[in-house]
Amino acid sequence: QLVSALHNLTRHVVYRGLTRAEDILSLFPENFHQNLKNLLTKIILENINSWRNEAQASQISLPRLADMDWRVDIKTSSDSISRMAVPTCLLQLKIQEDVALCGNSPVLSALTVELSKETLDTMLEGLGRIRDQLSAVANK
Amino acid sequence: VSPQQFSALTEVLFRFLTEPKEVERFLAQLSDFATMNKISLGPLKNIVKSILLVPNGALKRNLSSEQVRADFIALGLSEEKASYFAEQWKVNSPTLTRLAVGQTLMINQLIDMEWKFGVTAGSSELEKVGSIFLQLKLVIKKGSQMENVYIELTLPQFYSFLHEMERVKTSLESFS
Repeated sequence: QLVSALHNLTRHVVYRGLTRAEDILSLFPENFHQNLKNLLTKIILENINSWRNEAQASQISLPRLADMDWRVDIKTSSDSISRMAVPTCLLQLKIQEDVALCGNSPVLSALTVELSKETLDTMLEGLGRIRDQLSAVANK
Repeated sequence: VSPQQFSALTEVLFRFLTEPKEVERFLAQLSDFATMNKISLGPLKNIVKSILLVPNGALKRNLSSEQVRADFIALGLSEEKASYFAEQWKVNSPTLTRLAVGQTLMINQLIDMEWKFGVTAGSSELEKVGSIFLQLKLVIKKGSQMENVYIELTLPQFYSFLHEMERVKTSLESFS
């Protein structure tokens, strides 16, 4: 019962985003032991940031990018043409499925994608536009 | 076959080679040619088939136009016609090469990318969140099917992704 009550208290504090000691203190009932109240508040305040971060990290979300690697190859011949020198890019994205569903055993999948130079240029244009939109939003 | 007829036929052939998807148009032009010149279509098709083998083989082995001309003469074509064909070949080979390269196999080719970004307002654990997320949708060609892949990125991840992609571009450009 004690653990459950503590759990509820901390969840409530994290949910509401309470950061000031007075707000947390006001949650305790009137006749609560003074020193215990202060001690608990102090501990909660110390941990609140890491609890918030953890909660945010384990939110439901679409599959998240965990890592990415790339390499550039030069294609020198194929069945339709015997000599050429075409550079191409291989991009490997490590994707983590919905964190909330996986719990403690993350499911990582790797997706390898090939991009020609034209595709890469178009993609960079798109990414540049995203960056501009992001700075427009940030500057508002 | 007279020189003019031959050059008209060559033109038809090369137009088909540079636009291999226009099969119907090619066949229509062939039958027009046959009727105009009073040649029967069947033998004409056979001749065209063997003629088409030469440019395709030439592409595979990267032959120069002299070699193409020599091949044709070896096949029994007159010198004048062989030279004409070789000339046409030289003119068209950049396009044909580009087409052949385009057909080269690509693994999981990225076809399209869409994105949206927004702000996470709240969640079941945190009443007010206010963090920015970026969602990417990548359309990938797996074999003959398209697959959509959805990924979410945080802002720092986005910036390092952009940085890495710019490095890829520099690398690709140094090899072109």
